[in-house]
Amino acid sequence: MAEIDQSGGGKKGGKKRSKKASTKIDMTPMVDLGFLLITFFMLTTTLAKPVTMQLSMPDKTETKETSPVKASETLTVLPDENKVYYYQGKPGDAAAVVQVTDYSDQGIRQVLFRLKKQIGQNFTIVIKATKGAKYKNMVDLLDECAITDNKRYALLEITPIDEEMVKKSGK
Amino acid sequence: MPKVKAKRQSVSLDMTAMCDVAFLLLTFFMLTAKFRPEEAVTITPPTSISEKPLPSEKGVITISVAPDGKIFMGVDDKEAQQMMLERMANRVGVPITATMQKNFMASEIVGYPAGALKQVLEEKPSAWKAKGYYQGIPCDSVTNELFLWVTYAKLANPALQVAIKGDGNSNYKVFNQVVGTLQSQNINVFQLITGPENKPRN
Repeated sequence: MAEIDQSGGGKKGGKKRSKKASTKIDMTPMVDLGFLLITFFMLTTTLAKPVTMQLSMPDKTETKETSPVKASETLTVLPDENKVYYYQGKPGDAAAVVQVTDYSDQGIRQVLFRLKKQIGQNFTIVIKATKGAKYKNMVDLLDECAITDNKRYALLEITPIDEEMVKKSGK
Repeated sequence: MPKVKAKRQSVSLDMTAMCDVAFLLLTFFMLTAKFRPEEAVTITPPTSISEKPLPSEKGVITISVAPDGKIFMGVDDKEAQQMMLERMANRVGVPITATMQKNFMASEIVGYPAGALKQVLEEKPSAWKAKGYYQGIPCDSVTNELFLWVTYAKLANPALQVAIKGDGNSNYKVFNQVVGTLQSQNINVFQLITGPENKPRN
């Protein structure tokens, strides 16, 4: 920034003085740079913090009888890469009709909300990932369970019956 | 009558103090920031609404799954790491030299078959990526080395928790395999590392 020269003229006469160079430096760009770097470091350090979601699987060695779950109160969810298949009831039953939806907030989330309201506390979600499913899809579904406040869910392996049902539905 | 001249004031400020503060803060942030450990591959975890930070006071085994399905493992407990190397080297029959041990301790992750232990550890960790040593830990029904590494780490420190950091685009099958391996040694609680995401409003 321009410094106003207030020393005045004085060319004529007088003693010859050695010209004193000003010791002031314009610090503005330096301050700018400093704050820019601070902003950068602050943003990158806080954004990189990972969070975790806990996943508890059943103990395979434990043979204790667990509480039975009614087939009519379960929803089986079969995540695929871009869509989610789901059906209610027992696999292979004529009453269990495979339907398809997506991962958006109007998709599987609304299904979970609706069924939770309908069935109540005993509503159980069974997640069986299809062969095409990505890890992201599974995490998305677990997340949906957390959003819709369902604590009863299980991860199971997909069975040939499920695959057959998806194939038959043709969706 | 002469015109009244408004007295001009100098517009320049003394920025020295401001500059001092800025650089003090900058130094502080730079020194306190933790460097992200060098990753063998870039892993982008999926996002979730969970807000819990990773519990790390007891030590964590981090199992990473790369987009192409390769499996890596890291332990933040130095003692357990040391033990892992000793037992694994003993198993494959490789004598450990001081260089090998130093390189193993300096590396954040294990990501190579145990058969290549000697070859890999004789190089510095910084050269591993360029040489293509990060081939992943074999984890299938024939050779399940992930099982061994985790067992050895757990032997040294049974309180170690298991965190799984999977890439969003990795296949679910690999994750299933990792979980199956861990369940077969009776580890049933996992921390899935995810990125933060905003909670939906409703």
